[in-house]
Amino acid sequence: MNVIYLLIPLGLGLLALSVWAYFWAVRSGQFDDLDSPGVQILLDDDRAPPPPAPDSRDA
Amino acid sequence: MDLRSPASRCFHCGSPLSAATSFAVRIDGTERAVCCAGCEAAASLILAQGLGRFYEFRELPGQPVAGGLHNWAAFDREAALRRYTHECAGGERELSLEIEGLHCAACAWLIETSLRREAGVRQIHVNASTARAELRFDPHAAPLSRLLARIHALGFVPLPLSFAGEAAEATAERRAALKRLGVAGLGMMTVTTYAVSLYAGLMQGIAPDLEQFLRFVSLLVATPIVLYSAQPFFISAWRSLLARRPGMDVPVALSIGAAYLWSVVSTLRGRGAVYFDSVVMFTFFLLLGRYLEMSLRHRAGLQHDALARLLPDSSLRLNGTEAERVTPDELRAGDRVRILPGERVPADGRIECGATDVDESLLTGESAARVRRSGDELTAGTLNLTGIVEMAVTRVGQDSTLAAVSRLLERARSSRPAVADLADRVAVWFVTAVLLLAACVALYWLHADSSRAFGTVLAVLVVTCPCALSLATPAALAAATTRLARAGVLVTRGRALERLSGADRILFDKTGTLTRGEPRLDGVVILEPRLTAPQCFGLAAALESHSGHPLARAFAPLTPVTGVSDVKSVAGRGLEGVIGGTRYRIGRLEFVLDGCARIATTVTDHPEHTSVVLGDAAGPLAEFHLTDVLRSDARDTIQRLAALGLVAGIASGDRTEPVAAAARQLGSVAASANLTADGKLALVRALRAEGHRVVMVGDGVNDAPVLAAADVSVAIAGGTELAKVSADLILLGEGLSPLACAIETSRRLLRIIHQNLAWAVLYNLTAVPLAASGLIEPWMAALGMSGSSLLVVLNAMRLLERGAGRSARQPAPLAEVAHA
Repeated sequence: MNVIYLLIPLGLGLLALSVWAYFWAVRSGQFDDLDSPGVQILLDDDRAPPPPAPDSRDA
Repeated sequence: MDLRSPASRCFHCGSPLSAATSFAVRIDGTERAVCCAGCEAAASLILAQGLGRFYEFRELPGQPVAGGLHNWAAFDREAALRRYTHECAGGERELSLEIEGLHCAACAWLIETSLRREAGVRQIHVNASTARAELRFDPHAAPLSRLLARIHALGFVPLPLSFAGEAAEATAERRAALKRLGVAGLGMMTVTTYAVSLYAGLMQGIAPDLEQFLRFVSLLVATPIVLYSAQPFFISAWRSLLARRPGMDVPVALSIGAAYLWSVVSTLRGRGAVYFDSVVMFTFFLLLGRYLEMSLRHRAGLQHDALARLLPDSSLRLNGTEAERVTPDELRAGDRVRILPGERVPADGRIECGATDVDESLLTGESAARVRRSGDELTAGTLNLTGIVEMAVTRVGQDSTLAAVSRLLERARSSRPAVADLADRVAVWFVTAVLLLAACVALYWLHADSSRAFGTVLAVLVVTCPCALSLATPAALAAATTRLARAGVLVTRGRALERLSGADRILFDKTGTLTRGEPRLDGVVILEPRLTAPQCFGLAAALESHSGHPLARAFAPLTPVTGVSDVKSVAGRGLEGVIGGTRYRIGRLEFVLDGCARIATTVTDHPEHTSVVLGDAAGPLAEFHLTDVLRSDARDTIQRLAALGLVAGIASGDRTEPVAAAARQLGSVAASANLTADGKLALVRALRAEGHRVVMVGDGVNDAPVLAAADVSVAIAGGTELAKVSADLILLGEGLSPLACAIETSRRLLRIIHQNLAWAVLYNLTAVPLAASGLIEPWMAALGMSGSSLLVVLNAMRLLERGAGRSARQPAPLAEVAHA
């Protein structure tokens, strides 16, 4: 059972690491908008945008 | 001839189309009809950029594209850039925008994708849940005015926010709450694992140093949770004690604090029970409930200065002979401004030269335009329709009429009787009872068996933890809010739903609420046989396209003839112009008759609609009937509301005849006309004094104080910002039918909250005696508490059921609804 004295501190290290990663994610705004990104992957496509038509400017 | 055949709806904004419409866009080879030139321009722009997928993914139809004059040029000036943006590296600038009309992720995607293609845009992020955008751009490559105009062209209204506003505050609050919740969640998982080992050790035996080690590790993990995650509970408990109004947070803080300290002492002494698992589980579930409630509050995101929205983006300040575009907050009393047709008045003032028609409906609710001449007062926020006027500014900012309206609103809101919310009422009782009980239990066990006193008191506190109670309402509210958002109702104050369920009176404003707020072409009488109806339409549309008058908007869907010249607008009377060599006049009958040869008396005058006459030098040619038509689902909605037990009424500031006509069309609804904001307020107060629960639905500035005074207030998404700020619910999209759905959902919500509270009380009644008699260990109490919380959350989720959504959206058979 002595291995537990190694594993639990290791686990605590992982915990600290995940808290740090989570704080980083929150700070960088990953949780600010939970709705848009899920839809954006459906909307964005690889087709090149059509060349900008001269009359489409500032309608 | 009746032009009101709602054949279909506008592809872009979803408004009903009139048969005479000729605007259309081509998408994937199919012709789709749109309602007006504004929508056509927006839809064509979207399609031309290859962003047509927007239409597949958006959740609600857009807003009709306002034809109003927007001049963004003032935002390019150095002073405006300093006010609204801040500079970052490389001469680039950053600003926050609020975007009106943004409802879903597809809208956000559309704006982002379209703006990214503009030269000079470095970065743009549009947040769909807060309707805000963060934009970073290079002012030399792309003037801000062009970017704002592009957003506007897509059919949204951008509103630059002065930097470092409440947006940043809300984000900071949300991020702090997320961090607390995350720490508690991660910590809970860890501590629970150790707790399971310790419990297993209790049953099977465990090496003493291993047990002590696990306890120390638990202490290590639980400490940041108590000191960091649970901090808000301690702070708020302390505040509520200082204010002598003990809230839910007092027993929460007490049990967290006491259990933690006791466990720390036990751990350090190496004997006695530890309750770290209960502490962290408790903290996590409570934080989760708080977080849900905060998200609700932020989603509405309507806290910032609403008055500024009514002012124009910019106005023309005269400086001797020079004219300069400035933002309204740069104006001072004594300045002279020139106001063009279609612009809003930037400040209170007096006309020095010129005459014009002014739309004051925002303030008075009166739909007809008023004539204002030299020497007359103009009010900030009203709309100049026809003429160019020069005005001397008399009052700005806090002294203006608008500021006075907002103070009235503030007063009405603060005098709103505190409707004690169900959970709050229960909470005060509950908290006091629990604390008394815990004290009694402590006294008893200190005498009977002092070694078990603490464990028992803790079990009582944990088992009676208002967790289920405090989670019952927010969880159900969150579920109901999500359901309503899908049905097109934005809930800004969740607790209002509880009050909505008990409402028995519903008052509607007329202009802009029951009606669409703008006149539509209702019928036409041809007075001169040599002309056909389409010819008359063409002539009228050609002339009216030169006017910013609200009546002119009714002609916007018609196809104008070309070749109009020499158009003159006469304030309060009409328009004159030359088409194909003939001089035509359109407007009031007297104006058309003025100076023409033949006097025709065939023109009828109905009080219910406005007549616009087209004529030439020989006499009148056609008479157009314009009415502010009722929303197509108004009658239907009122019937459904009646089936739900709500008696409808109209409270309008408009004249008696149109109000009476509307009331007749809706099926003899009680109506009061000619009401000022104070009059409406008195009406609502009188109804409330009779013991009715009143729902008020409105859209204008003059409705705002009434909205604040009613039990529940509902605003229309297209209404003024001031109305929306005072509203509990906002109807998105066109139409009133989501109202009935909101009532149904609110009643189901109340049932679920009652079930949840009943369960919480029942559970406590059974568990408390067991805990007080010392039969329940704290860990069992924590387990029971969590189980009961879970049950409550699952019960709340029933509000989201698909079936419920469908039946609520479609009109259910009346009998069924009545029994529901």
